[in-house]
Amino acid sequence: MISLTTAAPAVGAAFVASLVEVVEAFTIVLAAGTLRGWRGAVAGTAAGLATLALIVVALGPLLDQVPLHLLQLVIGVLLLLFGMGWLRKAVLRAAGIIALHDENAAFAAETANLSDTTTLRRSGFDWLGGVMAFKAVLLEGLEVVFIVIAVGAGRGLLVPASLGALAACVVVLAIGAIVHRPLARVPENTLKFAVGVILCAFGVFWTGEGLGIAWPGGDLMILFFGAAFLLVGLGAVAVVRQPRGVIEQ
Amino acid sequence: MNILREVAGGLLKMFVGDAWLTLGVLSVVSLTGLLTGSGAVPPLLGGAILFLGCIVVLVANVAVYGRRHRDR
Repeated sequence: MISLTTAAPAVGAAFVASLVEVVEAFTIVLAAGTLRGWRGAVAGTAAGLATLALIVVALGPLLDQVPLHLLQLVIGVLLLLFGMGWLRKAVLRAAGIIALHDENAAFAAETANLSDTTTLRRSGFDWLGGVMAFKAVLLEGLEVVFIVIAVGAGRGLLVPASLGALAACVVVLAIGAIVHRPLARVPENTLKFAVGVILCAFGVFWTGEGLGIAWPGGDLMILFFGAAFLLVGLGAVAVVRQPRGVIEQ
Repeated sequence: MNILREVAGGLLKMFVGDAWLTLGVLSVVSLTGLLTGSGAVPPLLGGAILFLGCIVVLVANVAVYGRRHRDR
């Protein structure tokens, strides 16, 4: 039986990290559906989800075959690469060195891209919109799958992590169905900063465990690592903050 | 095929967003693995090297990128 205190960090981390990915996929599907017609967009989304399910069903059982230390090392390193990349980008964005990601702008770009290609087709089946939705769902979905595996595998927390990711999907779809617009108000950089910190903390912990390091205090070290990465990230923002000038896109 | 290529490219970008950051992290992990695996340092010291090494890689990467941007 998994206790709430053990499961909560996995649920929370998977939820927050997945939220960012689902918002990105939702923005593209919304652009495809609005501009090219909903039949193609919904079919593309369904095909993307089916492909994802196939990948998970096919590869999921393989996780049990991998020795625990190797699994921890591989996932720990991938988490570190993923988390450090997010934290770096979030720091640079918060410091004003690169531009903040804007879902409204992304929606506008996808819309322009779709309308440039061929004439608009709001009814009937549209392959272009379907392919666009399929790609977005598959790619962002694979990132969600990785996040779930990363925070859940090896500790028996795949189910809580999956529930966190599922909750993110439900929240985004529910809000999206109500507002019917890109979720531009989601503070993406703040979320990415937080997720970057969490993934780095898990990454150092798991990589260490995979290398045979017994951390003092066990799982509590994840909190220490998280606090340290948070402080370092905030410090880095203050140090490199751009006073004025051109912001890179 | 085009979709597969784009998905593969997207996945690669997940982990190799910045080549120097990736190289730095992999170097720190390899160094920690070598030092602890060979018994040259006790595991706990290896853990400290791993943790502090990652912090140094992150700060250095952000600082260099920030300075390069400011000098432009």
